[in-house]
Amino acid sequence: MQLASVALAVSSPQEPSQSVVLAVVLLPFAAAAATPVVYRLLGERTAYSAAGVALACFGLVASLHGTEGSVAVQWIPSLDVALRFYVDGLALLIGFLASGVGVLILTYSRGYMHGEDGQLRYYTTLLTFMGAMLGVAFAADLITLFVFWELTSVSSYLLIGHHRRSASSQYAARKAMLVTVSGGLFMLVGFLLLHAVSGAALGDPTFDLVAMLSNAEAMQTALADRGLLVPVVALLGIGAAAKSAQVPLHFWLPDAMEAPTPVSAFLHSATMVKAGVYLVGRFRPMLLGDAWTTLFVALGLLTMTVAAILAVGASDIKELLAYSTASHLGLIVAGFGIAEKVGAETGAFHILNHAAFKAALFLVAGIVAHEAGTRAIDELGGLRHDLPITAAVTTVAALGMAGVPPFNGFYSKELLFEATYEVAAHDGGLAWLLPAVAVFGSVFTFLYSVRFLMLFFGDRPDELEVHTPPRVMIVPAAVLGLVVAVLSVVPTVGVDVIAQSAFESTASTPGEAADLPHIHAGLPTEASPAALMSAATIGLGAVAYFCYPGYGRLRDWVRAAVSVDPLRPNWWYNRSVEGATAISSRAAPFVQNGLLRTYATWALAATSALALGGYAAAGATLPGFSGVELAPATVIVLLVAAGGAVAVARSPSHVVGVLTLSILGFMIAIFYILANAPDLALTQLVVETLVLVIFLLVLDRLPAFYGEVATTRLLRDGALSLVVGATVTVTVLLATANRSPDPIYDYFVEQAPLPTGGGGHNVVNVILVDFRAFDTLGEISVVGLAALSIVTLVAMRDRGESR
Amino acid sequence: MSTVIARTVVRTVVPLILVTAIALLLQGHNLPGGGFIAGVLTATAFVLIYVIYGQDYLEEAVFHRTPVPSLEMFRHGILEYYRSAFGLGLALAAASGVAAIGFGEPFLTQTVRFLHHVPLYGEMELASALVFDLGVYFTVVGALLTILAVVGSE
Repeated sequence: MQLASVALAVSSPQEPSQSVVLAVVLLPFAAAAATPVVYRLLGERTAYSAAGVALACFGLVASLHGTEGSVAVQWIPSLDVALRFYVDGLALLIGFLASGVGVLILTYSRGYMHGEDGQLRYYTTLLTFMGAMLGVAFAADLITLFVFWELTSVSSYLLIGHHRRSASSQYAARKAMLVTVSGGLFMLVGFLLLHAVSGAALGDPTFDLVAMLSNAEAMQTALADRGLLVPVVALLGIGAAAKSAQVPLHFWLPDAMEAPTPVSAFLHSATMVKAGVYLVGRFRPMLLGDAWTTLFVALGLLTMTVAAILAVGASDIKELLAYSTASHLGLIVAGFGIAEKVGAETGAFHILNHAAFKAALFLVAGIVAHEAGTRAIDELGGLRHDLPITAAVTTVAALGMAGVPPFNGFYSKELLFEATYEVAAHDGGLAWLLPAVAVFGSVFTFLYSVRFLMLFFGDRPDELEVHTPPRVMIVPAAVLGLVVAVLSVVPTVGVDVIAQSAFESTASTPGEAADLPHIHAGLPTEASPAALMSAATIGLGAVAYFCYPGYGRLRDWVRAAVSVDPLRPNWWYNRSVEGATAISSRAAPFVQNGLLRTYATWALAATSALALGGYAAAGATLPGFSGVELAPATVIVLLVAAGGAVAVARSPSHVVGVLTLSILGFMIAIFYILANAPDLALTQLVVETLVLVIFLLVLDRLPAFYGEVATTRLLRDGALSLVVGATVTVTVLLATANRSPDPIYDYFVEQAPLPTGGGGHNVVNVILVDFRAFDTLGEISVVGLAALSIVTLVAMRDRGESR
Repeated sequence: MSTVIARTVVRTVVPLILVTAIALLLQGHNLPGGGFIAGVLTATAFVLIYVIYGQDYLEEAVFHRTPVPSLEMFRHGILEYYRSAFGLGLALAAASGVAAIGFGEPFLTQTVRFLHHVPLYGEMELASALVFDLGVYFTVVGALLTILAVVGSE
């Protein structure tokens, strides 16, 4: 009865409450900000308060269940960017995973991180990550989505690099960051293309994802007309593939296992890597087509197979699980790629199933590593004697991962088999490769799943010593095991509660009358093609594992294959990073050789070239110069200034140079007085005085006289100064020639003395502190920063690298 | 540099400079002046003391205390004061902006009030912009003196 009422609620959606949606996303960030204080009070028990926050988020997400619609808060109105959130089945599914698994992971961390360094950092980052992930799930604005997306990458970077002193941990963190963030940039380009096209399709250019999805056909036609459909699909595909570790961008995920195991369970199996498949599911209704199907089916099946084979070659339990995660994400991507509705069913349902059994297995891996002291597959065995509850959890979860009936992974894998078979039966020819590859990949999935399970059976090696894990680590694993068991025994629960509505969001556009089939989840009752494919998978897997060629020999073959360098993306990654490092260290001495004049030359030459190039590109023409009328006093002042400038260039020593330079400065001050600008004159005078003093203080450190200068350098410097002078002259001429006929100063002069305007008679000052106060605030921040930089550069130059 | 003439002149001139600086700060709204100029001028006054009498004198005789530097490479604890001066300045300027939000106005909106019948002055203008200008003043003074102290200690 209860299930029926839930299903009913899904079919008649209500609008979500704005405050609840905002609370879901913002609560973890607020909690992260408060963590330093909480940690001071609670110490290691911060884990429980953080888990409480996650539980609150879970409750809020649950209260949104059954609602559908968007809420928005203004962010950058001038660009039509808003904190727009959209609640639907897919968003809720990811939201449930992020908050629900979060509760268990944070609780588990209490035991796993006991006595470790940097727990404050750890909990703060985990909470930030959870907020960012909830943001990704609910974001309905492309820019908001991008910001949260990259925020998850940044928090992942911090968490992978948690062990700051370990070089391999830092390497892994950098690699994950480079791959996922640059993938995100590709995605951003795709978003901007969508924004550009949305103007033609929807009237006004917008970043509003819901508006785009609601007009999916118009968007797709507009994209196709401009020849942008394939580029957009490819760009979003790269973003998703980088995040979800799809071949050939999968190589960062096994390294990411340097992170503490709760992090691996949370970010690198249940949630963050799901962001990529979420993106694919989210855009599926809008972009589905031939390009979409070709790209994602190929990508997904390739990843599913390659990663499963690599998992068989793994020597570390977390490495095995990492490759397995990539493989299952490939399965989800392939599902979303298939145009048939059963494809979307596969993707949506497997997100749920995979998160449940994979998070459970990671927690098991954490318990094993923590209590047995090793993660090497070859050193482990017979763990069921010491870890009975863990063994039970593993049995349920590993068989789910293997796709053995009646465990949960079986149901969604069955849907994939059905989908690939339908495509093959419909298209014929090469399409028969799809079911074949699906079965082939699944055989390897079966193999490594059984291998993982076998850690708990057989004989225990004599040297292995296993402790009893704390209850706080057992309970979360057991809860996840229970979830897997429930999904296994009554798969319709998962479908009715969430998977069906998630499937509907990926198969239909918002507001469309959902005339969609119900996900079929259950044991096969007849010898359907999918059932036969499952039987073949399990049969072949069992033969390969226990009879011929046997797991050990298969593993050795895989290891031999991946020892060929050019076959490993990792090798390419290392080569390119090392190459880039080498190029920069060779280039640096030319541009930054430690001599001030080199820096000045580059900066000035570049500025002049860019400015003059810009004028040339804009087709600016020099206005005719008709001469200006100057008062005799001004002429004298300017002549003296010019004389001072010549004298600076000819001065024999620094002291003389500085003193003559100040002639120039003071003449400019007098020029300001003559030009009726007392404020400027005052400032110029005072600053000139101060600069003189600073120069005299610095001069002490410099040689008293200039050395011999090579003629070539003199020529070069002379040419450069001519160019700079020309740039400034041209700029002044152009800027003054293009005055607006309706000058802005009338407004300032008129408004400044009025109480409603500035209320002051000094217009310059009123502009500084009132009309343009924001600019001034920026300028004084620069002044403050300059002081801080000098403190850092001069006073702290002996620190840094050495410490 | 520290001849008797220089010392005597500095003793006379520094108070004058400081008074001028404060006057420039206060009158800036209606007459030439303002936070920036006043700040630079104040810094100049300190620079005079510093050049003629030295940093230690500034610390002991002007501030009557030698604060302990928080970072071991600062030779002069007085840097702490300078740094807090520009921190205070930035905070003051930002706070004057945030205060406007509190009254439901956009960030950094300024206003004026005219007071009548004030003894001696008669009519007086109170501008909220003065708070912002004070922020500018402290930032400039603090930052310039920090730079001078760091460069000067070298």
